[in-house]
Amino acid sequence: MTEDEIVRSEDLVEASDSLELSKTKSGLSETEVRRYVRLYVMLPIIFLLVTLFGGMRFAATDNAFLFLPPPLICLIFGAVTIFLIFRARLIEFESWFNEENPVLENVANAGMILLIFAASTQVYNLLLPERGLASWIVTALFIWTLWNDIFVDFDQKKLLRSLAGLFAIAFVTKYLVLANLAVKNDASWLQRIFENPGKEAATWFLDLPVYAPATGYLQFFTILLFLFGLYLTPRAGNAKKLSA
Amino acid sequence: MRASYFHIASLLIVAVGVTLIVFIYSTQPKNLAEIATKSSVAIGTYEIDRAEFANGLAAFRRDEFGSARAAFDRADPEKRDAATQFYIAYSFYRQGWGRISNDNDLFAKGLSATERVLQLDPNYRSADTELGLKTPTELKAEFEDGLKVTVSDFNPLKLTRERK
Repeated sequence: MTEDEIVRSEDLVEASDSLELSKTKSGLSETEVRRYVRLYVMLPIIFLLVTLFGGMRFAATDNAFLFLPPPLICLIFGAVTIFLIFRARLIEFESWFNEENPVLENVANAGMILLIFAASTQVYNLLLPERGLASWIVTALFIWTLWNDIFVDFDQKKLLRSLAGLFAIAFVTKYLVLANLAVKNDASWLQRIFENPGKEAATWFLDLPVYAPATGYLQFFTILLFLFGLYLTPRAGNAKKLSA
Repeated sequence: MRASYFHIASLLIVAVGVTLIVFIYSTQPKNLAEIATKSSVAIGTYEIDRAEFANGLAAFRRDEFGSARAAFDRADPEKRDAATQFYIAYSFYRQGWGRISNDNDLFAKGLSATERVLQLDPNYRSADTELGLKTPTELKAEFEDGLKVTVSDFNPLKLTRERK
């Protein structure tokens, strides 16, 4: 080893020691702090907001809040989505839950998974038409798509793209196509039939609920927030596992 | 800062958030003001609006029962105060009472309001000296009696009775 190499090596050891010292003083390095803030503060808030807004609608008459709890089928869809997330390794199960991790970390990670499940359940709640023929048709299409997804080889990007595509088409169906078919005015039944028989027939035949336009805007941003949350979710729960 | 602080913070955020969401979905508030009112009920700090209650009482004394009920509703939007609900029930009695016949619709509404008072406080007793009926039980009996058609309804002496 030359003189220069020895000096450089000593400098590196010194720098490494000083880095270690700054890390032990505060317990976590700055990168780790940022990572923990994202995983344990930002993501829970994002998924809580999605859970809150997913069942929220605005009444057509007075814009009053309506909070619709998810039907049972949405819980099943939520569970399938969690399964797909694990299967596509968007979240590495063995890294998020590991007996080598402290119990508190495993519990906090379990809380996060619970929130992702609740948020995905609510996303299906906002995408499915509330009742009537349209609800049956969209539910059947969701079952078909998710059932196929279970057997497809996904990676993280493909899963996110697939979910984004599925949500986009369901959103357009519910909040653009079906919402425009539903009659919104306060005119009498007879007057509505004379003025717009097609819309009146579609509203009656499909049994479509009518909500204020603000509902569509809120739900659009809720879906975006959910996908953004999934995008931010780290694959590994533990930074050491990730580097290894 | 230690990692465990973040884990604890995360668990707190999850617990508080989930509790709030369950509360909102179970109470179904219609607007932001209702969220605040329902929260105050949940944490036990709910109080009626005294000014609106005084307005309602003044209207009640002037026999303006519709506006009295509107003021009482504003004073106690969550229908949690036995005294306010008692006055609402009493306003239905006074408005619906008739020397010859009672207004059955108003009496039915009054009966339902009285049952609400009994649920809130079965031992409620009004201190108002101007009221002839002091307890919800007496008021309920009066409503039930008024809603029934009996032989005594055809007694001509009934015309001499007074509103309580």
